[in-house]
This record gives sequence, C-alpha cells and structure tokens, in this order.
Amino acid sequence: MRRVANCILQFRILALAATLLLVLSSTSFAVDSSPRVQLNIAKAGPRAVESLTERGILRDYRFAWNSMAQALEFNTFDPLEGPFAGEAKTWLRDTITNQQRSGLSQRYVNQNHQLEAVFYAPEGDVMELHDTADYQLQISDGGKLIHEEHVVLHFVVLMTPAADRWVIRQLQAVPQF
Amino acid sequence: MRRSFPLRTTLLLSGACLLVASMLGVSAAQELTVPASVTAGDETAISTTGSGAATFYLLGPSVSRRNEVSLGQEIHLQARELQNAGDYMAILCSGTCRSASFYVNAAKPASVTFLVHPSRVPTGQSDAVSGVAFPFDQFHNLVLVPKTINFQLTTGNSSVFSQPAHTRDGVAWFRTASGKAAGMLQVVASLDDLSAKRAVQQVASDPCNLRIQGQRTANGIVVETEPVHDCAGNPVPDGTIVTFTATDASGKDTVDAPIKKGIAKAQMDAPGAVVVSAASGVVMGNEVRIGAH
Repeated sequence: MRRVANCILQFRILALAATLLLVLSSTSFAVDSSPRVQLNIAKAGPRAVESLTERGILRDYRFAWNSMAQALEFNTFDPLEGPFAGEAKTWLRDTITNQQRSGLSQRYVNQNHQLEAVFYAPEGDVMELHDTADYQLQISDGGKLIHEEHVVLHFVVLMTPAADRWVIRQLQAVPQF
Repeated sequence: MRRSFPLRTTLLLSGACLLVASMLGVSAAQELTVPASVTAGDETAISTTGSGAATFYLLGPSVSRRNEVSLGQEIHLQARELQNAGDYMAILCSGTCRSASFYVNAAKPASVTFLVHPSRVPTGQSDAVSGVAFPFDQFHNLVLVPKTINFQLTTGNSSVFSQPAHTRDGVAWFRTASGKAAGMLQVVASLDDLSAKRAVQQVASDPCNLRIQGQRTANGIVVETEPVHDCAGNPVPDGTIVTFTATDASGKDTVDAPIKKGIAKAQMDAPGAVVVSAASGVVMGNEVRIGAH
C-alpha cells in the first residue's frame, strides 16, 4: 500500500515538473518573440499610405527594433546594417561602442509598439511616425543584472525608403507627443 | 566599571558593524535627483544623498557610462554626453540600485533639411512642385518645438509662390503649381537666419499649335515643323520627339524625329500623293498635302 502511495507521489512530482518545464519553455518563447507592432495610418498625410507601404513599414519597423535589441544586448554592430541609416545609425553605433567600453548591455523584452503615421510626404520620400513603445528593460553590468523595469517610451521616428526597404533615420525619445 | 562595559561593547559592536558594512560596500541609503529636463549640449549635474562609495551608470542615446562616485556629492554630466535628444537613465548602485530618468530636448535650430520634388518639371502644372522641411539643431536632433518656415519660389526676379508654414511634429511642407516660364526655379526654405536653397528646372510643357510644312525633293519628301512652343510660348526642349505620319494609297509610313534647335525635321519616301500629319505626345498638329512626283 505504501509503495502505491509512493508511486502516485512520484508520478505527481513528475507531472508537476513537466508542467513547470512547459510553462517555463512557453515563457522563454514569449520573451524571445519578436516585437509586436501595430500601425495606424488614419492620420497620415498629405499623401495617403498605400497598403503595400503600410505592410512594408510594419515589417521593416519590427525588424529594425529586433535588430536594435540584438545589437544592444550583444554589443554588436552587424544587426544595425540595413534597418538604420543617418543619425539613428550613428548614435546606435556610438552607444554600442560605449557599452563595449563600460561592459554594459541592455535587453529589451516583450516589446509592444503602438505606431502611428503622422506625416507622409507628398512625394512619398519620408514618413514621420509616433511610437508608443513598452517593454521590459534589463540592464546588465558584465553579465550581472543591475536594473530591470517596465518602461513606456514615446519615440518620434523618421523613416525613408531605401532600395529594398524602409530605414529608420531618426529615432528620438520624447516625454510626450 | 560594570556600567562602562555595555558602553564599550556597544561601541565595539558599532565599529565592527561599520567595518563590515564598509567591507561589503553597504552604505547609507542613496538617492539621486536628476534634472527635470536638459537642452542638448548643455552640462548638468545629478545630486546624490548618502555616504560612501557607489557605482554610477548613465545610459542614453550614444552614452553608456560607468564610474565610481562618492555618495553625497554631485555627479557632473558633461555637455558632450548630452548631445543627443532622448531618454537618459541614471542608475546609482551601492548595495542596492536606485534609478531615475530624464529627457534631453533638442537645442535651437541650426540647419534645415529641405527635400524638394521634382528636379525637372513642365510649366503650368498644378500641384507639381512640393517641398518638405525639417529643422535640426547643431547635434542633428529634430526640433519639435513649433517653428515658422517660409517657403519662397522665384524665377528670375519674380515671385511664383511665398508661404509661411508652421512646423508640426518637426515638419513643414508645401505644394504648389509650377510657374509659366521655362527656366530655373529657385526654392528656398528659411527659418530665422537659416535657409536652404534648392533648384528646380522648369521646362516647356507639351507642344501647342504644332504646325508642319513639307515639300517634295529628288529623294522623296521633306517635312518639318515650325518652331515648337508650349501654350505659354516656351520653346519645347530639344530632344522632344515629333512623329510624322505619311499616308498615301499604299498605306502609312511613320518617322520619329527629335526636335533640334526648336524644329523637328524628317525625310520620307513617298512617290505618290501623300498626306502628312505630325504629333508630339498627345498633341496633334496640322496636316499637309503633297502632290505626286
């Protein structure tokens, strides 16, 4: 009788462990998932945003933030090649250079972006967007987590079309829109 | 003697505690006070409370700083650390970590980025010329405070268009018709004592009143246009194609000829009586009838 009870207990422990493993694995999947971006083009003007452009902006903005998160977490420049240009690329490169010196790194977890196109030039050569971004910011010093908080930030973004994608030229955090 | 013993014990314990605390890096609870906002390129300071040593971190656009500081003293932030507008986070760690964030705002405008389209435009077209202007400070931060930008379009000494526009979210724009006269259109965006100049080449629009004449020669017929102008009287640029079509009993013969020095000219084989017409773009010219050889 005691053996049966032990067997049931062991089974329950195993089931609990399996459930925990499942929960943990699903959590890590959520953590590693790419940024979630929602785009509102209702206020864009004077040029109307075509559906193909809307899809391109969504795709390229998500990719840019994913690349920026990788670059700032692993302190590498490669992810910045492509999605960034001009001033945005310059300050991101400077940040990474300084992070390499100081031993710091930043991790952006569970990114959500509420993106709104507020200006689309008459000839379609530049678009200004407002992004209300929220994510879990983790700052590490030499691999040791020193700070973690959930942040909500507002960004003014300038994007321009390049050969095969939209690139971020300006990414400027502001207190509010 | 018995009374002094607890006092001595207390002092010893306190000393030991302080020694252990200092060895572990634990000090009095630290606080940091950041400025409410800073203008890009300005120096500022972060005040701290507490005592002992701490590690200070500053993270922001272009900045990732880590250094040891003494609590209770101000932490000086240099102007070059605060050149990029955006969100900055200051963290102070001494056992535990405290953080605070502040914003750096763009400084006053130092340049105007001005995009103008197109570079070449036919005259007399509505909504044909447009421009977009962004004011930036000396550190290339977008100036979001509303500013008035004056857009001026001139050809020669005459003004084609002049309009002040207020920046909204850091951008101002215009759109207008092209002028009536061919030539260089100067487009200027000015903000206080700053200005950005662009040039648009205005070219003649489609030909107007396309007229041709022709005559028979030993080798066939030669047809040519009169000097080709648009409806505003501007000479149509050389290289514009005029299509001549000769129709006779045997069918049609077509020749494309570019305008050279204002005139398009073509030679065609046509032994019999022929009717020749001309067209350029969507504009049709007159017809000429040339008799048989």
